[in-house]
Amino acid sequence: MPPEPVRLGRKRTLPSCPNPLFLQWLTELRDQAAEKGLKTQYVYQKALSSLKKYPLPLKNGKEAKILQHFGDGICKMLDDRLERHYQVNGPDAPIHSLPSGVQHSAPDSNNLHPSKGSSNTKEPSGSSGGDHKRTQKAESRKEKGGRKKRGYVPQKSSGGYAVLLTLYRHSQVPGSKGFMFKNELQVEAQPLCTKSFTVPELGSKYTAWSSVTTLIQRDLVLKTHNPARYSLTELGMSLARQLEAGEREETNNEEDNKSEAGEPVNYPETVDLTQDYNGYGDDDDDDKEEGGLAKRPPPVICVDEEVGHWDEPQASEQEAAASGILLPGSYDIILCVDFIETTGGNTVRKQELVTELQKNGVTFDIRKLNVGDFLWVAREQVASDPGQALQPAARELVLDYIVERKRMDDLCGSIIDGRFREQKFRLKRCGLHKPIYLVEEHGSAAAHLSLPESTLQQAIVNTQVVDGFFVKRVQDVKESAAYLTMMTRYLQKLYQNRTLHCRSRELEGDGPKGASVSCSLMSFTEFNHGAVKNKCQTVREVFARQLMQISGLSGDKAAAILEHYNTVNSLMQAYGRCTSEGEKEKLLSSIRYGKLKRNLGPALSHTVYQLYCTKGPLF
Amino acid sequence: MSLKRVYTWELSDSESEEDLDANPKQSYTHVNEKHGNTLRVPEVTEVIKTTGHGKQPNVIVVPEEDTLQPPIRKETNSPSPGKKRRNRDEIDADRARADEKKAEREKAKREREKKKEEKKQEQQKRKEAADRLKSYRPENYIKCLTVRIHPVLLQDGNSDVLADTLSELEWKMRIEPHSLTHSITWTRSSPQEGEDEEIEEEQILMVITLDEFLDIVLSVKQILKGDSSRHEMSSLLAALTDHLNTHTGSVVTMLVMGANKHRKHGSWYHAHGNLRSQLGMEDMEIEEVLVYLQLYKSVFVHFLYNWKEVADQVCTYTKALSKRPFKALTECTELGFCVDGAWAAGSRVERDGKGLAEVWSRQIQQLNRVSPAVAAAVTAAYPSPHLLIQAYKKLDSEKERRGLLADLTVKGNVKDRRVGPEFSTRIYRVLTAENPELVLD
Repeated sequence: MPPEPVRLGRKRTLPSCPNPLFLQWLTELRDQAAEKGLKTQYVYQKALSSLKKYPLPLKNGKEAKILQHFGDGICKMLDDRLERHYQVNGPDAPIHSLPSGVQHSAPDSNNLHPSKGSSNTKEPSGSSGGDHKRTQKAESRKEKGGRKKRGYVPQKSSGGYAVLLTLYRHSQVPGSKGFMFKNELQVEAQPLCTKSFTVPELGSKYTAWSSVTTLIQRDLVLKTHNPARYSLTELGMSLARQLEAGEREETNNEEDNKSEAGEPVNYPETVDLTQDYNGYGDDDDDDKEEGGLAKRPPPVICVDEEVGHWDEPQASEQEAAASGILLPGSYDIILCVDFIETTGGNTVRKQELVTELQKNGVTFDIRKLNVGDFLWVAREQVASDPGQALQPAARELVLDYIVERKRMDDLCGSIIDGRFREQKFRLKRCGLHKPIYLVEEHGSAAAHLSLPESTLQQAIVNTQVVDGFFVKRVQDVKESAAYLTMMTRYLQKLYQNRTLHCRSRELEGDGPKGASVSCSLMSFTEFNHGAVKNKCQTVREVFARQLMQISGLSGDKAAAILEHYNTVNSLMQAYGRCTSEGEKEKLLSSIRYGKLKRNLGPALSHTVYQLYCTKGPLF
Repeated sequence: MSLKRVYTWELSDSESEEDLDANPKQSYTHVNEKHGNTLRVPEVTEVIKTTGHGKQPNVIVVPEEDTLQPPIRKETNSPSPGKKRRNRDEIDADRARADEKKAEREKAKREREKKKEEKKQEQQKRKEAADRLKSYRPENYIKCLTVRIHPVLLQDGNSDVLADTLSELEWKMRIEPHSLTHSITWTRSSPQEGEDEEIEEEQILMVITLDEFLDIVLSVKQILKGDSSRHEMSSLLAALTDHLNTHTGSVVTMLVMGANKHRKHGSWYHAHGNLRSQLGMEDMEIEEVLVYLQLYKSVFVHFLYNWKEVADQVCTYTKALSKRPFKALTECTELGFCVDGAWAAGSRVERDGKGLAEVWSRQIQQLNRVSPAVAAAVTAAYPSPHLLIQAYKKLDSEKERRGLLADLTVKGNVKDRRVGPEFSTRIYRVLTAENPELVLD
């Protein structure tokens, strides 16, 4: 359901600047310029600052010329925009307030059709969009004075609304853990929201989930930890309380007068709650920022036509979480191949693998895997209903085996640049208990390798002995395909008569290790989501990485420092509490690190002190 | 290697200071150490150390309790009064003063000694920890490993090369019949002296010929067909199965050897395929058996040409085993990310702080998606963390602080751009947030 009607009703805020339209247009111009990296952005910025200071309404662009930093060019541009504005809104359209028509039709259409029309001047980039909002926000806040914090109230049945309310209700349950994981939050918030949390609307890449970014930016929701936990801030808590109150009132009204309960979004309470809405900074804008950055569902390439739809990642998530059991015979074991293994680089060679697998009659699916190159899923069989446009999502659980394929030359390269350890680390932590290193020993590559054979052999054996991986040696792609084929067949046989349970790693932790055939499996979505390479960083993690930039400050030392001071802030406070420089210098020296509990030592302590306490520039 | 280098640097640097202070006492303390039970010393000192350090203000209180004793002892030990002619009060006062002074001196002395003692013990402890760590270094730990070879393997005359290789390396080796025939196993002992207990490693190499492997293949195929009559089973497979039933932790690698042939073309990489083709079976058929062994027995299969290659594998496995204890000791698992890699190497900082500017720049780049150019823009405007944090403190509103860096200009090759509000917010959060688990992106 399109949310327009409500927007019209609630965006009645009086702008603080008497020339809000000009302000808006200039901001857009500046952001566009900044987006392209043009120096003109600074010209616009200057003009903007000067316009903001001007207390009187301007009739047209020409009049603005009296202001500092306004030249003919800018005035002309403003007049052009003004003309268009009158065309769209009629010759009597007000220009000294933000009329709902112009202001809101644009962003809304942006949302649904991201690149349409001349009014679509807001750039999807995070930087410009965010700045734009902030500028205007500052303006209106100035005017409203004390009422700052009631700026944003999500519209009823929107993603933000549902998330706030769900978090609130969850927090009110006795014994609640005080936060929610993404999965459970989505599942529980869905009934409160008209948009889907997992499947983007047609023509858009944003889901209702996108508005969580807005909530975080507005300090309503706190996102912490990895995997992410969501909770309400104090601000969010009080807002959610209001929403809950509104919700209750509405339910009562509905009961009183059912005949009028058709369009809940038009209820006066909603308008009442949102009266302070600032009239800009649409959720949709925020959504766009987020989408532009990272949150897009990974691209999925499907070789098989019939699987074209079901792997929109999160779609299967909710259902699997809702009822986590797959009965024998109700699912297929399918090999998943990372798309990198089939595209890019040496295409001929990569195609060979696909061809071989096809020749062997293996059911496989190509998709983006965030860790590993091959794995197997148990995919629910879904009866296809031709009458239904969108197939219901099939549930998918990941089996415990994951294969990393390495040609000898890859292995060589990854040892040299350090990826080898990092990859093994990620494989060990991905939640699947049976990692397999598939080494292709290609005779031809041997001559050109930059590491001696013994080093490579040692690395392979270390992978088995030290890291505990299964190492499978094959000669070439053909043998790799034969191996994967055979594994697929065996796994199909092994899982023939088994009932599978969905286990959430987030909620229940890792399953038992060592079981020969595990039947308690993660959903594919959770698995793949948890394995994203550049995960969201936490303050603590960045601090650790930052400390490690000092030579000699290894991971275990950083971890030891973090045990005492887990943020930059807490370390700085500790320095602040010291009474002398000498004390500061030695602050960290007796911290013990590692399993041997050795002292960090005065030298490192001194260096860290210099880094954080030097008042002048470092050199 | 890098780890090792870092270690020695850190050690030598941090100990140099202590040496200056403690030098006069050193000869004495060393004698003392040798008598003591070296294993217990660290535990005792740890208690003293932590209490002393944990409550700095209390330090004075603790020695005072000790010094209560000396004055008392003084009075009983040396009762001879000075001159009788003097006023008794005077004498008492004098004596009291003298005692007081003496007590003070004693106290100071005791404190000094105590400090020295602490320092000495600390040093001792550190030395022991360093020694202990050293003994776990792979090159040292390898001396704690014993390679055990099943006598069956020596019946093959060509297997001499294995024993020769091991003795040349001066690694410990034993020939003894252990539970699994045709196998090579390892035991490890503790690097600490006095602990002689040997622990069996879980890795097992089973060296078999191509013919023996063929028997195994045929047996497995029978099993797969559903015919598992025991008497038809290859004796080696039966032995392996029995072993795995009783030793559930064992990890067995089968080294399948060609019929003592030399490598055909010298290339190690071809060995594998050639040997497999010698079995005269389709790839898929062999693969079926190999995957069976993997999934049902957790057995690895590796094809080799001759005993020389087997000897090389044994060395490789021994080295891998020697690396494990050190890795377990030094591995850092507390941080949720891999602490290896180019980014983690760190940037050298001199004692006078030279090099810290580079560290600060690299620190900024630890945030996701931050280029050196962006870092340069920040460090140019705020050439130390302190300056940036101070700048944050001077701003009144959260909004201003978040946006502080947004308008900095990033120099590009072609054109300049802004740092942007998104990054500006992230760096602000990293430097000022109180919640360590706050997610930045």
